[in-house]
Amino acid sequence: MKHSNLIQTAGMIALCLLATPSSSEPLTIKLPSETIKLRPPNAPGYALALQKCSICHSADYIEYQPPGMTEAQWVAEVGKMQKAYGAPITDDEVKLIGAYLADSYSGKPAVITALQPNTPSVVPATATAPIADVKTLLTQNACLSCHAIDQKLVGPSYRDIASRHKNDAKALDKLAEFIGKGGSGRWGNSPMPPFPALKPEELKSLAGFVMGQK
Amino acid sequence: MNQQDQNNKIQRRQFLQTMGIAAAGLAFTPLRSQADSETLGFDNGTRELIAYPQKRPLMLVTARPPHLETPFAAFKEGVLTPNDAFFVRYHLPNFPLSIDADQHRLNVTGLVNKPLSLSLKELKGLGNPVEVIAVNQCAGNSRGFAAPRVFGAQLGNGSMGNARWTGIPLKTVLEQAGVKAGAKQVTVRGLDHPVLPATPEFVKALDIDLALSGEPLIAWAMNGKDLPFLNGYPIKLIVPGYFGTYWIKHLSEIEVIDHSFEGFFMKNAYQVPDNDCLCVIAGVAPEKTRSITQLKIRSFITNLSEGQTVPLENTVALQGIAFDSGKGISTVEFSDDGGRQWQATSLGEDLGKYSFREWRATWKPQSKGKVALQVRARNRAGEEQPATNMWNPGGYARNTIETLAVIVV
Repeated sequence: MKHSNLIQTAGMIALCLLATPSSSEPLTIKLPSETIKLRPPNAPGYALALQKCSICHSADYIEYQPPGMTEAQWVAEVGKMQKAYGAPITDDEVKLIGAYLADSYSGKPAVITALQPNTPSVVPATATAPIADVKTLLTQNACLSCHAIDQKLVGPSYRDIASRHKNDAKALDKLAEFIGKGGSGRWGNSPMPPFPALKPEELKSLAGFVMGQK
Repeated sequence: MNQQDQNNKIQRRQFLQTMGIAAAGLAFTPLRSQADSETLGFDNGTRELIAYPQKRPLMLVTARPPHLETPFAAFKEGVLTPNDAFFVRYHLPNFPLSIDADQHRLNVTGLVNKPLSLSLKELKGLGNPVEVIAVNQCAGNSRGFAAPRVFGAQLGNGSMGNARWTGIPLKTVLEQAGVKAGAKQVTVRGLDHPVLPATPEFVKALDIDLALSGEPLIAWAMNGKDLPFLNGYPIKLIVPGYFGTYWIKHLSEIEVIDHSFEGFFMKNAYQVPDNDCLCVIAGVAPEKTRSITQLKIRSFITNLSEGQTVPLENTVALQGIAFDSGKGISTVEFSDDGGRQWQATSLGEDLGKYSFREWRATWKPQSKGKVALQVRARNRAGEEQPATNMWNPGGYARNTIETLAVIVV
């Protein structure tokens, strides 16, 4: 019970602070970090799910769904994300993500391959596709849903990013890595999803495009 | 548990251990209880207990957008749910984490004589504050118990709470603006927005008669304190007797319109079968649906937990809560024989027709072993809880008679 005492004490501290706000000060909160990650890839849709689902919601939305849902049910649910909530995914991607979710969350035993912790050996759906140009990359990956050239949307504007890194000789490499791995905290709380399916050349050309915005 | 899960868990523990307490100025830094969790009575029902700002550790349903459920044990603490235990549910993740109450404005637009942009001070100056004790229940409360299971937030019974709300009637604000002839509904929205432009905004609508009835309240206080941030600071719409989906947090926009609002969260989401029970045969799609509106009658035992042991030789005190949409609870009964015979309970103080109504009873166990206790309520309009599985595709408005198994030893 030591811990719940701690929590109660902390709660009282918070209440004291709450009881005496000076009227001109805003009330500010900090949300805890997300704790649940998408389950490891049983199916190729994993990389897509990582990119697309996490634009709008944390992985616990998926983690806590009932076991035993069929692939058709999962595909329908992903279809709802596309049609009702405007998730930037194509009809083919709906099926791929649905298949991954059914495979990983319907109660089948997980396929444990030689998976390295936190570096999922994803076989991207587009592994054999040619390297895409920047415009295609921006569209396919819905980058512009969260970023604009000259204004902050969910994420920072490309101009602000370029400006922050303009004196950094390693900016291109760093940005390419950030885009690939995702993260949060560099520009606020909203997390940037990782894009593990992108090839190194594609990450570099995206980074180059961002750094070119001045 | 596979490798990745283990790895996630280890990382999480390490993170938990390095978290300290920090509350600087008015910034509330979240705390985490160490590896605490609570398990609900359905498959995949284990939830982490995590303390969000101004909250005790609650069951984490989702982190982004935040959705937190009250551990059921909190309901035995009293008929009013403590602010720090009250559930939290956002639909959209893009909302400010810092709100200056002095800068906040409530805009009233549309079919009115005089559009308003009210500060909190101006809102409070419109009249004497009004209080109501009312239940706020998520439409999906208890969804995890649906059989067969359905997609959606997998909630136990803790996505509800009862509080004393203080504010100004919505009617007073609308009268200040002057509602023009031809008004049919008012739409309401708050500061929470979608991440993507293609995602529908969270906007709800009330019929003009309800909006002008004097019952919906624009509240700034909850149980005598400022609203907690995550419950809608600085003002929240209270719609007594209606499901929580109408109780807009961080209320900022009211628009009077001359038609029936067709937005996604009214016409597509929150749909229930268009019949009295809001139910269909399990697994069957309803022929016709409508927007969910008022609460269904429910009752719970709050002082015992599933699987608890009780001694055969003693009498056992039973205690719980009941509520409905405001018609008024008339009786609560319990059964220890699978619903063949029902025994009376005494109702507690009447705190208003929209409040939890407390009930108490004394039970004498008759035999050892597992005993399923059931509780059912009836209201003044003769509405009762269904004894059989109550199902709809959205997992909404569940109000089947609750069963709680105890072990008599």
